[in-house]
Amino acid sequence: MTDARKPQGDRLSESEAIERAKQGDAEAFQLLYDLHKRRVYSLCLRMTANTAEAEDLTQEAFLQLFRKIGTFRGESAFSTWLHRMAVNVVLMRLRKKSLPVVPLEETVETEDEAPKKELGAPDAKLAGSIDRLELQRAIEALPPGYRSIFVLHDVEGYEHNEIAGMVGCSIGNSKSQLHKARMKLRELLKTSRTGRTERASKP
Amino acid sequence: MTCGEFQKVLPDIMEGQRRAEHAAHLQSCPACFGLVSDLSLISEQARLLQASEEPSPRVWNQIEIALRQEGLIRQPGRDRSLVPAFSRRWSPAWLLPVAAILVIAFGVTVYKGGHSPQQIADNRAAAPVAMSLAANSNDDQQLLEVVGSRAPSMRTSYADNLQNVNAYIRDAEQTVQNDPNDEEAQRSLMAAYEQKAMVYEMALDRSLP
Repeated sequence: MTDARKPQGDRLSESEAIERAKQGDAEAFQLLYDLHKRRVYSLCLRMTANTAEAEDLTQEAFLQLFRKIGTFRGESAFSTWLHRMAVNVVLMRLRKKSLPVVPLEETVETEDEAPKKELGAPDAKLAGSIDRLELQRAIEALPPGYRSIFVLHDVEGYEHNEIAGMVGCSIGNSKSQLHKARMKLRELLKTSRTGRTERASKP
Repeated sequence: MTCGEFQKVLPDIMEGQRRAEHAAHLQSCPACFGLVSDLSLISEQARLLQASEEPSPRVWNQIEIALRQEGLIRQPGRDRSLVPAFSRRWSPAWLLPVAAILVIAFGVTVYKGGHSPQQIADNRAAAPVAMSLAANSNDDQQLLEVVGSRAPSMRTSYADNLQNVNAYIRDAEQTVQNDPNDEEAQRSLMAAYEQKAMVYEMALDRSLP
């Protein structure tokens, strides 16, 4: 409802917006929200694969941030602070719902869940490009534990030592689960393409 | 190096820990080469999904309402009275929060619990009137015109907000109509009216010079 966009010359910088938000300036709050909403919402959506839940979590993350904005001293980047808060909000929600944030080290996977190991058999590649929508759907289809690690590492760019600290697992477990997530995604993407090819070839 | 041995260390290879024997195997094994290419492609494409989605306007609406309710949004030096001093410049604008207050007052009168069966029947008859008040498109249009004249870039956003809150009011009114004794439904309707009043109040704030 507020519009913090101003003519170029009058544009608030992020640090100015932070100081004004501390004073209760509505436009400053909205500017900060507009600057970071896509990153936070996309994170929440990828982790939960549910639009309504992602919106609730986005709202919760920003409200937590704005309630604490008076304590922000600028020792770290604002975006880093916000993003970590958003990750924590999502992980807490997943834990409350008893969804596995990270599978156990030696998880007993069902045959359907385990990525198929490829031992030298020639196989079709994904051939150079992946449709964004395809990849989104495949991520949504991942088991929650794999999805969390994959989103935090490959989408959001966290390192394994950071992920291990956030989700409470070892670095080795984080690497292992990431690999399994990627293998599973490859399998899902190839299955999806095979299905499309077969449908296209039918008269 | 066999494919099995290669794939056993593949997680480390993907993290950049590649040795000469790994490179040699990749050069000689199309399957493993294809596998590494695919996994790398998946990882690269995933990064493009960062910040790729936009939340609905409802999210900011809810945040702003919560911030105001918690007193985190403070507008120093502004007269927050809902009936500003009489002035020709303000003459269209003062109608708007007054209309919002009337909406809420009417809702409280019609839908508060404890009515006799006859009163409930009367309330049912009055409900369509409340609906027309709550979703009064003339008031909304007037609001949008004021917002549009003072902050043109916000008009679309306010139009979306009004559409959402009017839909909320309609749904809540319908629920109360179906069962006027449903206290939960009455609370939802009150919340809907309050939300609309909040939209009007925020629009008034935005339209202040």
